[in-house]
Amino acid sequence: MDAIHLFDLAAKQASWLSRSQATIAGNVSNANTPGYRAQVMKPFAEVLDQTQLSLASTNVNHIDLGPADQASFVAKDDAPWETTDSGNTVSLENELIKAGDVQRDFSLNTNLVKAFHAMLMQSVKS
Amino acid sequence: MDALQAALRVAGSGLAAQSARLRVVSENMANVQSTGTVPGADPYRRKTVTFASELDQLSGMDLVQVKDVGTDPTAFSVEHDPGNPAADSDGNVKMPNVNMIAEMTDMRETNRSYEADLQVIKQSRDLIAMTIDLLKGSS
Repeated sequence: MDAIHLFDLAAKQASWLSRSQATIAGNVSNANTPGYRAQVMKPFAEVLDQTQLSLASTNVNHIDLGPADQASFVAKDDAPWETTDSGNTVSLENELIKAGDVQRDFSLNTNLVKAFHAMLMQSVKS
Repeated sequence: MDALQAALRVAGSGLAAQSARLRVVSENMANVQSTGTVPGADPYRRKTVTFASELDQLSGMDLVQVKDVGTDPTAFSVEHDPGNPAADSDGNVKMPNVNMIAEMTDMRETNRSYEADLQVIKQSRDLIAMTIDLLKGSS
């Protein structure tokens, strides 16, 4: 059933967006820290591209390689808008723009989940 | 630790650091005329504050904290005021090395960073609220 995959995808994106928000919070907090490099999350599309099927295990002793999930959400140095004399690369404007993007995507995400849920409930009730 | 809670925690550390900075700025501004009390004594010396990022073990994020409150080594200005208790034998008084314009600028920058932190906190709360709203089923 496809709807289940949609829920999985939505959950994964919500989790990625949360991590993204935490990264932005770290940048904003360190806006005046000398030598701090602004961080940015690797785009969600790239995370999805790397996602692979997990191997089936027929014995509990098989080592589970596990699907790529939380661990593939990595942050890297952001391309700086400006670098101050103290070596800090955080731009508050850039961070607030990114925060706006996160807010919009999260809103879309939760509303989609609501819609999926309504669809499922409709088929269950009728 | 939940990433959104980590965001709140990090932004909170930013608020604490910026308010410590504002406290130092207000200290400098309040003491802009604080001379010594005995002849030839040094007046108030301007304080500076520096930040450092620190890895938080619990959330795995970079918190910010006040690294050091130091002093500004700039030379004191000298004013001629023989009536002052801190005046030396020539009637000169050393005045604090506080520059009001620099303090005002610092205060505005603190304000701006504090507002940005508050904005992040508000937004993280919104995201949490959106997630919780999923439970309020349209039934």
